Amino acid sequence: MDIDGVNEEENSRRVQVRFVTKLKPPMTVPPLPIAIPSNLTRLGLSTLVNNLIQNGNPDWNTQPFDFLIDGELVRMSLDKFLLAKSISAEKILEIEYIKAVAPRKEEEPSLHDDWVSSVDGSDPRFIVTGCYDSLARVWKAAGECTHILEGHSDVIASVGVINRKGVEGITVATASKDRTLRLWKFDTEDSINNPIRIRAFKILRGHTKSVQCVAAQNTGDMVCSGSWDNTIKLWQTNDSQSDGDLVSIKKRKGNDQADESQLEGEAVSTLVGHTQCVSSVVWPQQETIYSASWDHSVRLWDAETGKNSLDIFCTKVLNCLDVGGESSALIAAGGSDPILRIWDPRKPGTSAPVFQFSSHTSWISACKWHDKSWFHLVSSSYDGKVMLWDLRTAWPLAVIESHKDKVLCADWWKGDSIISGGADSKLCVSSGISVL
Amino acid sequence: MKIKGEKKKRQSVRNSKSEEVEEEQPSITEQNKLKQKQLPSHSDSDSDPDYGSPYVSDSEDFPEDGDFDGSLSDSEAGESGSSGDEGVVNSDVDDGLHNDQENQSNSSESHQGVEESDSSEDEVAPRNTVGDVPLVWYKDEEHIGYDLNGKKIKKRTRKDKVESFLESADDAKNWLKVYDEYNDEEVEVTKKELKLINRLLKGKAPHSDFDPYAPYVDWFKWDDAKHPLSNAPEPKRRFIPSKWESKKVVKLVRAIRMGLIKRDKPKEEQQFYHLWGDDSSSTEKANHLSFIPAPKSKLPGHEESYNPSLEYIPTQEEINSYQLMFEEDRPKFIPRRYTSLRSIPAYDNAVKDVFERCLDLYLCPRVRKKRINIDPESLKPKLPSRRDLKPYPVTCYLEYKGHTDAVVSISIEASGQWLASGSLDGTVRIWEVETGRCLRVWEFEEAVKFVAWNPLREIPIVAVSVGQEVFILNTGLGDEEEQKNIKELLHFETPVAPDDSGDKVSVASWHQDDKHEGIRLRHFKTVSSVEWHRKGDYFSTVMPAGESRAVLIHQLSKKHTQRIPFKLRGLPVSSVFHPTKKIFFISTKKNIRAYDLQKQKLIKKLETGLREVSSISVHPGGDNIIVGSREGKLCWFDMDLSSKPYRILKCHPKDITNVAFHRSYPLFASCSDDCTAYVFHGMVYSDLNQNPLIVPLEILRGHTSSNGRGVMDCKFHPRQPWLFTAGADSVIKLYCH
Repeated sequence: MDIDGVNEEENSRRVQVRFVTKLKPPMTVPPLPIAIPSNLTRLGLSTLVNNLIQNGNPDWNTQPFDFLIDGELVRMSLDKFLLAKSISAEKILEIEYIKAVAPRKEEEPSLHDDWVSSVDGSDPRFIVTGCYDSLARVWKAAGECTHILEGHSDVIASVGVINRKGVEGITVATASKDRTLRLWKFDTEDSINNPIRIRAFKILRGHTKSVQCVAAQNTGDMVCSGSWDNTIKLWQTNDSQSDGDLVSIKKRKGNDQADESQLEGEAVSTLVGHTQCVSSVVWPQQETIYSASWDHSVRLWDAETGKNSLDIFCTKVLNCLDVGGESSALIAAGGSDPILRIWDPRKPGTSAPVFQFSSHTSWISACKWHDKSWFHLVSSSYDGKVMLWDLRTAWPLAVIESHKDKVLCADWWKGDSIISGGADSKLCVSSGISVL
Repeated sequence: MKIKGEKKKRQSVRNSKSEEVEEEQPSITEQNKLKQKQLPSHSDSDSDPDYGSPYVSDSEDFPEDGDFDGSLSDSEAGESGSSGDEGVVNSDVDDGLHNDQENQSNSSESHQGVEESDSSEDEVAPRNTVGDVPLVWYKDEEHIGYDLNGKKIKKRTRKDKVESFLESADDAKNWLKVYDEYNDEEVEVTKKELKLINRLLKGKAPHSDFDPYAPYVDWFKWDDAKHPLSNAPEPKRRFIPSKWESKKVVKLVRAIRMGLIKRDKPKEEQQFYHLWGDDSSSTEKANHLSFIPAPKSKLPGHEESYNPSLEYIPTQEEINSYQLMFEEDRPKFIPRRYTSLRSIPAYDNAVKDVFERCLDLYLCPRVRKKRINIDPESLKPKLPSRRDLKPYPVTCYLEYKGHTDAVVSISIEASGQWLASGSLDGTVRIWEVETGRCLRVWEFEEAVKFVAWNPLREIPIVAVSVGQEVFILNTGLGDEEEQKNIKELLHFETPVAPDDSGDKVSVASWHQDDKHEGIRLRHFKTVSSVEWHRKGDYFSTVMPAGESRAVLIHQLSKKHTQRIPFKLRGLPVSSVFHPTKKIFFISTKKNIRAYDLQKQKLIKKLETGLREVSSISVHPGGDNIIVGSREGKLCWFDMDLSSKPYRILKCHPKDITNVAFHRSYPLFASCSDDCTAYVFHGMVYSDLNQNPLIVPLEILRGHTSSNGRGVMDCKFHPRQPWLFTAGADSVIKLYCH
């Protein structure tokens, strides 16, 4: 047996282990305790498990696994890990193995004309990117641009897909440094080689400074936006509102440049409280909005009443924010330092982050939770790296270094790909990540 | 009568002798007196060398009285023993009753006295002969001293406390016992002694037979005296308390109260002589000239023998290799062999050595140099820890790249969203702070000297000085309404010449600049810096070569230029508006002057004491100024304190190019041509009594030198504790906390 061979070679301490898994049958191993040398690393354990599977199933193609002991990923040799966690090596150790989470494929980067400032992959059918050439683009897949959204007069700072139930077609909101937000509608069905240029159906004016971020409510009826004027504004997204029409007609008469179908909207309400630029907003539930700002705070707002219900103070400027993880309650935020912090607002009495990931070397520009997994999140940084994190280990699971310059945005797509855009004008898609 | 009195006295003397050893001295004197009175002729016995003991003298006295023929020893043998009691009793009985037996009694008494004295001598003398030395010396010894034969007197075995207590409890006479330390024995107090002690306690004379109220015997013969010895009345001072004494007492009392006189000093333990200790301290203690021991030379070893064994003799190769060594490293002595002492040659360097020794002695310091032993740590001022003073810029995370030549000046928009930079490549760039994106570029023919954002957020315009011109540029960053206002502001129909000034040569002329969509202000000399007033309407320009018209103040809304009505002394370097009051600072190369713009007069002149001022920055509170100089010194002025610098920080080895205060955090920074920027904590307290606290925090490195220039400009972010530095390496760096 191969195991014996390994054992003979390594004349070291052995540990009694039993491999367990939640994976489906072809990937299971007999739950018998076996003795393995204690100086095995993740790689050694992975080949071991692959061998075990191959014993039962000769057609098995080897694939990397990751190993959990007591809910923590093994990131060093087994004996060191046991020592560090002070786990007794006398008992039979139960090691759970999961598929290793790492991108397997690097798709051809999608080139833009300018820096890619934002990306949204919340809809599995397409990717929306915002670009510094003040255009937003819709990509069906890597390198396949289907729509170009034009109309902004300045850099698009943020894009957000609005999932509206019962409405055909797709609605996208973009926030721009020209102080407006625009809403766009298009269909994914038409597949023409040349990208279709479309115009916004609604322009949302009201911010007095550049709009920095946009987020849609999960029902899709409203969007909120954060801006350099220190406010968060809430907007209606529907296109058939009479008062909005009236306003738009009036404006149109004055401007006589916008085409017929464009509506204009005004903010439904304004959330005031931040003292500096609101750099990121998230609207995960019907009534709560999370916002991060340059005034070093994360705030929780009640969308109905506009009340500020929770403040988390960090000492650094915050650039990005996402809410997810365990029961969608953990707040991940990154900012003007290389540390990605994760808070648990349910923990009473403390504003200290529960997790801190500090492998980046520059500002963190974006962070996103995986929408299914409780543990995985992706972060991008100005050091040109995109990192994939698991809450169960302090080291990044994978580092994607496909960008040559600052990475400005990153997101998950289809649950198994990471999309990121940066100052090298590329949209990179790293796929084949088996998170679940 | 006379004799009787004398006898009495003698008796008492005898008694006292027999009873108490301590009473010897007074009794001796008394006796001698008596003797002298009685027998003035018998002086030869006084001078007798053997005349040491008074008792012997007494015994010698008696033959005078008549009947002394028996040997001393006989009488001693006969009547020793019960002598003491007898004397006391006798004296009581004797009192003038046996007049006929006077002589008898006298002789018997005298015998007794002799016997007594002898016995007492026996009692007292034989024991310890150590004399009057502190008994502590024998504390740790087994003996207590030496007897007459020079043998050790052993100490008695010590009883432990319990034993001695039990013994004392058992012994009924214990209270009569006294420990004699000197002889190491317990002495029981006799009845007689007890009586004496009782008398003493009662305050009576120690001897019962002493009559303090004895009738006065007037020895003086008054009969013949015609004249009294003195008839002077008693002086008054005998009857009044002494003033001087009372003063003295008061003085002493005071001294005691003040603690100058200390009573009951604890007895100092005798120190042992430190035999092996370092004698340097003892010489230091001495008052005389200190002895400087000569340096100890190494003792000669085997190799210095005239005939050392072969292993000490260097080979020829080694000797050759010495020649290659440095003079100082070379061995002073090369061992050589001589078969006999005779064959040793004369010492080569004898004269040289003597000369050098003389030189050494001639230049030898005669005084020991005393070093003050100070812990260098204690000299450091107590400063708070850097960790407590966070946040402050530490690391560079963002770089703004795009300029092709040294970036000379940077300016940050009031909200902190944008950054303007001017470079020697003739461009002005607007950057987005958060991403490092260059948003806009203006190109000019000449190198850009200075850029300054308007401090108002509603008017995002930049003032740029290029050569002799100052441009007011519209960045186009505001919303429509603001843009409209700006366009109105920057637009005017006719070029305005400064006709009101009356000068022949126009100081500055306003022009519409179509190329850059702004205003062009043409000056008559090169403009080095532009500073905005906080309200964003006025700005000042400095032309170092402009002499009397070097500093101008422009009003943007009226397109109006005026000279400052003050006479400048020296080359102006820069000018700053006071952040809150209507005060205007102009720094020349040496001094800084503060002018009140409303009253149009000089308020204050700050003397920097620097060779050449390069930059100046005013604390947002307005009362503190920092000044950077070309010699690398940074001065902090507290205007309330004095016109001299409160602190001078000498940290940069090269020119300081710029200094900056943070608008809200207690931070200030200086940047220099040595490619570093220093960040300091500069806390100004609202309490006027507390001086500003200055703590150096961080040295920011990262820029590279280019053409001898390092960091050209530094500015703080208006709202974050971040520092922007512009380098001669054409990069702008952002240091974050």
